[in-house]
Amino acid sequence: MAENTCPVYEARIRLKEALDAGEFKTPKGHRLAEEVHDLLFDISWGRAGSEHLPAIEHLLMEWTSLADPPSQQMARFIRTTIDADRETFQSHIDTHNCATGACVKLAPAPCQMTCPAGLDIPTYVTLIGMGRDAEAIDVIRKDCPFPWVCGLVCTRPCEFMCVRGRMDEPVSIKFLKAFAAERSMSTRLYRNPEKEPDKGQKVCIVGAGPAGLSCAYYLALKGYGVTVIEALPMAGGMIMVGIPRYRLPREVIDREVAMLEDLGVAFRFDTAFGKDVTLEGLKAEGFEAFFFAIGAHRSYKLNIPGETDYPQVIEAVSFLKDVALGRRHRPGRRVVIVGGGNVAIDAARTSLRLGAEEVVMAYRRTRAEMPADVEEVEQAEEEGVEISFLTIPAQVIGRDGRVTALRCIRAEMKEPEGGKRKVPVPIEGSDFDIETDAVISAIGQQVDHGCLAELIGLKWTRRNTIETNTVSMETAIPGIFAAGDAVSGPATVIEAIGGGKRAALAIDRYLSGIPQPRSRPVPVRRGRMPFLEVPATTKMILKRAAMPVLNIDRRRTTFQQVELGFTENMVREEARRCLRCDVCIRCGKCVDICRNKMGIDALSMGYIDFDRPTPTDYRITAERCILCGACAANCPTGAMHIEDRGDERVLSLCGTLLNRQKLLFCQECHAVLGTARYLEFIRKQTASAPSAIGAPLLCVACQRKRHAGIHDETTPV
Amino acid sequence: MAFHKGQKVEVFQRSQDEAWEAYMDELIGRHGIITDPDTVINDPESLVEVSINGKGTFRLPQDCLRVLS
Repeated sequence: MAENTCPVYEARIRLKEALDAGEFKTPKGHRLAEEVHDLLFDISWGRAGSEHLPAIEHLLMEWTSLADPPSQQMARFIRTTIDADRETFQSHIDTHNCATGACVKLAPAPCQMTCPAGLDIPTYVTLIGMGRDAEAIDVIRKDCPFPWVCGLVCTRPCEFMCVRGRMDEPVSIKFLKAFAAERSMSTRLYRNPEKEPDKGQKVCIVGAGPAGLSCAYYLALKGYGVTVIEALPMAGGMIMVGIPRYRLPREVIDREVAMLEDLGVAFRFDTAFGKDVTLEGLKAEGFEAFFFAIGAHRSYKLNIPGETDYPQVIEAVSFLKDVALGRRHRPGRRVVIVGGGNVAIDAARTSLRLGAEEVVMAYRRTRAEMPADVEEVEQAEEEGVEISFLTIPAQVIGRDGRVTALRCIRAEMKEPEGGKRKVPVPIEGSDFDIETDAVISAIGQQVDHGCLAELIGLKWTRRNTIETNTVSMETAIPGIFAAGDAVSGPATVIEAIGGGKRAALAIDRYLSGIPQPRSRPVPVRRGRMPFLEVPATTKMILKRAAMPVLNIDRRRTTFQQVELGFTENMVREEARRCLRCDVCIRCGKCVDICRNKMGIDALSMGYIDFDRPTPTDYRITAERCILCGACAANCPTGAMHIEDRGDERVLSLCGTLLNRQKLLFCQECHAVLGTARYLEFIRKQTASAPSAIGAPLLCVACQRKRHAGIHDETTPV
Repeated sequence: MAFHKGQKVEVFQRSQDEAWEAYMDELIGRHGIITDPDTVINDPESLVEVSINGKGTFRLPQDCLRVLS
């Protein structure tokens, strides 16, 4: 099948063309073709249920048996298509999304497709815009057990893909989620989805990080008995011991983990796999499948002289873990952090909060190459962290068993011969010392796989991560699945949640004896919400809300949450910025028809093009549009809508009111004539319709009557 | 680091890396945005997180990606 074609769409279109061409000559063949087409149409339009595929297959059997060669041929084609792509047909029915977008009504929004956990963002953002926060959280928790955690620390790939970002700035999806979760928890409306009946089968999860907890949540919902083994004394993994409390308060994690306990998930803390428990022992306890999400907790070494000579040279991951576990000791009066990623930033800002007077980050490249989030870097600098760019650590200097300085070399970015990327090259003779009492290395982590030594047959990648099929998260050992940082290397919270969710689906299939899918699951459309009505001007001038933050003195001295959260008004307004790309598929038909067929060019929607967006201005429509309705009539999804409301005609795009004008009525019968601009446009085109100015306004029927009367009076019989 | 967060990229070829899986062939020719660059140790060998327009988010080897101007 060619790239980006959908088998459901292909089958339906081919059948429709044959029907239109009158290929099925027998009445029964034609009737069966119509019935199969209707059922396929239901599937491609999001209206199908569990009976649709069996019903189609039943009709195909009858259809094939007809003594009509075109019928037999078409029935066989559809039969073969379904057999080859049953997964896709079923996915259309289950998810109400068509990943290719060919079935236009089911084209998913880019934000939802981008989210590694597949959250239905347009639906929950609209619910938040309506003030229905608890329902929004219900929608989110169908795809992600931790909306509050994600609302505070997600790296938000959805916002990078947000179509609003092509107009001005993306919708602040992450913070909307945080608000809704907090409000929902506060009003005691934060609840678990309904569980399936108990299956009587047990699954063991090793690691209580985001991947492990996500897998536990979905398996518990499916009715499995789930036990999570965790080496630390609490749940959360890296989100608990790797992310500092000023970004993610412990209460947020505890409250969301408690929801898993309510589902019946059991935890065994302070229990290390490979030490306190073994695979054989767990199998003897009756666990039938295992999921490993042990994370990537081992730091890379700096590999410079002096690194192992002083206790004040510490690894960022251990440092952050100690602080999270309550050991809040200042690492030194002056601290140097080596690295430029988010962990380095976290270590630097944590050092400040523990009382360090000078905190310097030594980073070997330039600001442009820093992998840390821009917002995190800005906040760190505001708090007083200094960043020394193009600085390569060369040696840890010390005296009497204590670190006194980090010797560094200046670097310059150079493109090596034949190389494609610039690398930092040391400048000879540029050595300098940064005086310090402690050095914290934060140059990355890897998987510490010592605890998995007993898993004979487990395969590892050359990146030292567990080798899995990333669709099903199966490892090389049957019944053992893995996800999270242990598979991807250090990655994001939402990727870990998505991996855990995929693994749960795969474990369910494994234990039910169902074959694993060939491609990643398509995210599920959780609803089709009515639009939030917003005037075009408001839509244009609403700017992305800025997050209020804690005052700088508290940020330098306490672990209080830095980002204070949006106010209710900010949240409702921000939600109104959403363009509802779950309905508008940006096909551009409306723009094309308005510009090229009608010659009006009233739609300025430059965001349609992913690669080269041009400016967008919804306000232009009100200036130029004649409200002819051609755009709405040709919109394949109903995103563009025209309607008469009282004495006005209103054009809207996904709730954005693009144009509204007074209607003119027939002076005789009061039938709707259209708007003045529309009548003027028609008059210019035909020179026969009544002008809006001067002449009496009559509909065609009344004009005819009047002319007939005149003829009757003036023409002799 | 060759890729920065927010850069538009194209999956221009199949990667020879072991991390490339068969289903990723359908990503070739698609455009996307870097959402999480190689945060580990600025390693050209590390996988980067890319959101591919209309396809989803993937961790891909860097040799299959090129920056769109």
